[in-house]
Order: sequence, then C-alpha cells, then structure tokens
Amino acid sequence: METNILYTHKSLVEKSKLGDRNAQYKLYELYVDAMYNISMRMMHIKEDAEDVVQDSFIEAFNNLSSFRYESTFGSWLKRIVINKSINQLKKKKIPVVPIENQMYHIKEDTEDVPPDIDIKNIIKGIRLLPSGYQKIINLYLIEGYDHIEISEILEISPSTSKSQYHRAKKKLIEIVKTL
Amino acid sequence: MDNFEKYIKENKALFDVHKADKSKLWSNIESGLNKPDSNTKTIKLWSMPLFKVAATVFIALGLFSLINISLIGKANKNTQNNVALQELNDINSHYKGLVAYQVKLVNKSTQLSSEEKKEFLSFMDELDIEYELLKVELQKNVDSERILEAIVINYKKRIELIENLLEQINSSKKLDNDDVYTL
Repeated sequence: METNILYTHKSLVEKSKLGDRNAQYKLYELYVDAMYNISMRMMHIKEDAEDVVQDSFIEAFNNLSSFRYESTFGSWLKRIVINKSINQLKKKKIPVVPIENQMYHIKEDTEDVPPDIDIKNIIKGIRLLPSGYQKIINLYLIEGYDHIEISEILEISPSTSKSQYHRAKKKLIEIVKTL
Repeated sequence: MDNFEKYIKENKALFDVHKADKSKLWSNIESGLNKPDSNTKTIKLWSMPLFKVAATVFIALGLFSLINISLIGKANKNTQNNVALQELNDINSHYKGLVAYQVKLVNKSTQLSSEEKKEFLSFMDELDIEYELLKVELQKNVDSERILEAIVINYKKRIELIENLLEQINSSKKLDNDDVYTL
C-alpha cells in the first residue's frame, strides 16, 4: 500500500523527467496551490512566497532525475519549498528558530482549548506568535513533520525542536483564547 | 496528541487559504526550465573517458603527421631544387663555353658583314632572354625535368645557329678558293 502512495503520479513524473512540458504543467497544476500556501505560511509576503514557489518548481523539474520515489513527489517538492523558504528567511535575517529572549514563561499546567475554536482564529494566533515559534508550529502541526525532520530543516537538535514546540503551542493557545 | 493538535490536524485543509496566480507563476517557471530532451536518447561520447583518451591520441597523431609531412615536403623540395640546379650547372658548363667560343668565332670572322653579324647576334639575344626565363621557371620548381630539357634545346638551337652560320662561311670560303683555282 505504501509503495502505491510513493508512486503517486508516476507516469507524469516519468514524462516530466524526459522534459515533457505538458506533464510538467500537469504536475505543477496539481501541486502549485499547496506549495504556495506552505510558502505563504513561511514567508507571509506574497511576492516572496511566489519567488520561493517558482524557484522550487524550477529546481524540482530540472533535477527530477534525482527523484527516486523514496518519498512521494509531493513531499519531495514540499521539502524543496520549505528549505528554500528557510534559506530566504535566513538571508533576510528573520529568525527561524525561537531565540532565548523571545521565550515566554509558560505555566506548567496545560489549559484545555475550547472545542469549538475557529480555525481562522488559530491562523490569526499563529501570525501573532514570534517568528521562531511560528515556524516550529507550522512545521509540526500543519506541515506534519516530526521533530527529527524539523531538527534537520532548522538545524537544531530534536530535543530543542520538542521543547520549543511545546512552548510555542502553549503560547498559541493563550493567544487564541484572547481572540 | 492532545485535542488541540488533533483538531488542527483534522482541519489541516482549512489552513490553505491562498490561491496561486497559476499562469503568472508558470510563465516564470517555464522560462527557467531546461530544454526538453529529444525523443532519441543521446549518448554523449565526449563525456566518456575512453573517448577523451582516443580523441587526444587522434589529435596528437594528426598533428605529428602534419608536421612530418610539411617537414618531409620541405626537405624533398630542397633536394629536388638542389638536383635541378646541379644539372643546370652541368648543362651550363658544357654548353656555355661552346657557345661563347663559337660566338667569338663569328665575331672574329671577316667574311661576314656587320649586318649579318647583327642579325645573328639578335637571334642569340632572343635565345638568351628565353634562357633567363627558363632559369626563373626552374627556381619555381614546377617541372624541373621539362625545364632542363628546354634549356638544353635552347643551347642546342644556339649551337645549330652558329654551326649553320659557320657552314655558310666555310662554303663561301670554298667558293672563293675555287675561284682562285679557276683563275
């Protein structure tokens, strides 16, 4: 079953490897919105997000021969988008990991979140978090990476990723409650 | 995983709130893509190490033979020229003295009028010009054998002319002598 998932859009990928422009466009159409949203969550600025998406698709199609179905095409492409976004943020000197003085003192007891919480408020709440917290929340909760993958992406240890995530989540809940 | 996390993961799709400008992004992407491969698979021979070695050897051999040919050609040309010049010298030493001696005889002859001498010498001058031209041709080394032949013919013509002239002189001498005896 897992193998089948890995080979999603195999024929389009194989044709794209040979430079078939139609197949490349079909793949692009299938993934562009998802990639754009990932990039927007990371970059927040439309033009920056578009640049990242463009560069990611160009890199993906030009290096498609190195794609060997070790993951799905979507997750391979997503990783390119994430890495490019992180690089762009670093160039702009925007923190991608929480820095010490940004850390909030969190109460030890966990507070329950109201069950009918509006997703829009969560999106708004994430935007109100410090940049480093935002990245870790996005990568773990929305993009679905585990702490080992996040540690690779952000070049931190998995335990740092874990502790930072918990702090970020608690802060997010605090913010969402006030909205 | 707590309820908050579960809630977000279940509603992940709701976080995708943006729409990409597909046509604008694609036109920028397309301009950055590599040109499509042709349907036939291309084997890049020049990227194979064996081909590189073979090409190097081939070029080296080519250069060597070119240099060799030009050197040998030059040497051959020189030897050919030398042989031709040697032959010319031989011809000159054989005929020049002969012609000069006979011309001297003609000049000395008292039985020829100055007009006859002038006419004869003008023929000789023409042959001289022809000889000089042949000498220039010989240096060009087009067909040295034929040119040398022509030079010999040139000399022979001079000798023939002189011989004819001398014969005429002698015959007239004979006539004069006969006259004497008749008298």
